Amino acid sequence: MLYKIALAQINPTLGDVEKNLLKHIEFIEKAVQKKAHLIVFPELSLTGYKLGDLTMEVALTFDSDFFKPLLNLSKHIDIAFGFIEKGKDKNSYNSAMYMSEGNVKQVYKKLYPPTHGMFDELRFVARGKEIKIFETKLGKISMLICRDIFHPSLAFLSYAGNADIVLALSNMPLRGLRGDKPGIQTTVEKAVDTYTNFFGMFVVYVNRVGFDDGLGFFGGSFVGTPSGKKLASGDLFEEALTFADIDMEEIFKKRQTFPLLREEDLNIIKKNLDRILEDSYG
Amino acid sequence: MADISLNYEMLKKFLIYFIKEEVKTNKFNKTILGLSGGVDSAVVAYLSTEALGKENVVAILMPYKLSSPDSKEDALLIADKLGIRHEIFEITGIADEYFKQIDHMDRIRIGNFLSRIRMSILFDKAREYDAIVMGTSNKSEIMLGYTTWYGDMAAGLYPIGDLYKTQVFELAKFMKISEKVLNKAPSADLWPGQKDEDELGALYPELDSVLYLYIDERKSMEEIMLLGHSKELVENIIRRVNSTQFKRTIPPVAKFSARTFGIDFLYPHDMKR
Repeated sequence: MLYKIALAQINPTLGDVEKNLLKHIEFIEKAVQKKAHLIVFPELSLTGYKLGDLTMEVALTFDSDFFKPLLNLSKHIDIAFGFIEKGKDKNSYNSAMYMSEGNVKQVYKKLYPPTHGMFDELRFVARGKEIKIFETKLGKISMLICRDIFHPSLAFLSYAGNADIVLALSNMPLRGLRGDKPGIQTTVEKAVDTYTNFFGMFVVYVNRVGFDDGLGFFGGSFVGTPSGKKLASGDLFEEALTFADIDMEEIFKKRQTFPLLREEDLNIIKKNLDRILEDSYG
Repeated sequence: MADISLNYEMLKKFLIYFIKEEVKTNKFNKTILGLSGGVDSAVVAYLSTEALGKENVVAILMPYKLSSPDSKEDALLIADKLGIRHEIFEITGIADEYFKQIDHMDRIRIGNFLSRIRMSILFDKAREYDAIVMGTSNKSEIMLGYTTWYGDMAAGLYPIGDLYKTQVFELAKFMKISEKVLNKAPSADLWPGQKDEDELGALYPELDSVLYLYIDERKSMEEIMLLGHSKELVENIIRRVNSTQFKRTIPPVAKFSARTFGIDFLYPHDMKR
């Protein structure tokens, strides 16, 4: 099957959810016109990143009426975006929502909110506990949020769960300006290259642009394919709506010629992991 | 010497996006800056002009009677080349009126006072032009504390605040800023013949190398010395960095309430307002 995926590399306004909602609608409508099957926004696309004490003020439950315009649009196109979730357990989360056919299909809570150096997420949000691999019109999808994708364990779990596509919603601030590309961009491209090759999956990386309090988000969104291609690359620093046509057959072909998943024995992994946990953590 | 080279083409692009967006987020269209004739303010003037257009940049020249005549000439050259609006405001009268009432002024007090007079004028003019004050401090002087607190450090944005002085020079070269500006020895120009490198005890390439190793790479004093820098210099630099941390942080607030600015009133700077 062939699918068209839209990458919405936007610059949200910090803390202004109404304005950002309008931007989502604008980008979604354009993607619908191009007959895309799925549009993916960056992490926290509805709120901006460096929220601090604004976090609790912009938090929304996943079933809030605020999302109605997006739910309506999801009758025409699947939508993945980021927001601060007001959890049913009364915690706030850095979450990603997937909508399809007028319904909320899945909500994923970021597993590894970074808290060191310039990152301060766990001061304001709680950690998610569960990776979600779910069926969609396009195939099996797993959503990861920014730092999550630097944990190969999560890409591996997506692969173990037989995900076809990993959506990586990101807010990566630029650091490293020595080479041809920002240093952090090289890091993320290497990671995606590894996952797509060894796990035989598509990775849709969508990073925002713009500045929050001096942190500059570089963009550079793209789709990595199992055969090692890079599609729909967004420029650096500029808003963009790019499109990738992906062929799901590519996964089958890759996994036939490089049958790692067929060789994989999850029981061995589980046993060894249990033993390591026992030895290391008692 | 540590390699602190950068991709200057990409850096320039990044800084222009920074200025475009942060000026707007702060609800301004215009920027204003003190133009000294030195490389830091020249680079900020060039970047601001490219980001916002020449009609949105205002330069203020504020010479004192002891300032080098070259400085004013070079600043005018930059303003003319960019075609930006500029004003010259002599601060000799204001400053000397104060100095003559004081029995003993040393160089440090004079330097700090001139810097804060310039700050006052710049912020007043900012109000007149409805412009945001652009900081022209670089990372070397901010980290060494070689700067006047609430003087030249006072600003709405720090576009070159993460660039070491030698990186500012390289960016200026890349942007083809006048050779005359590039070839001058860096100086605060607070008295005749003053030079940064005399006061700081080393040339900028070496100062920046030590700063980079200590700050960016978190190397210890011993590790930096093993890379070929003298004990005396490394000690001097680390002492300067540590003793001037107060200039780079909000002063301690005597906290007793539930939420206190500077401690746990943690709203972003760039929120919608």
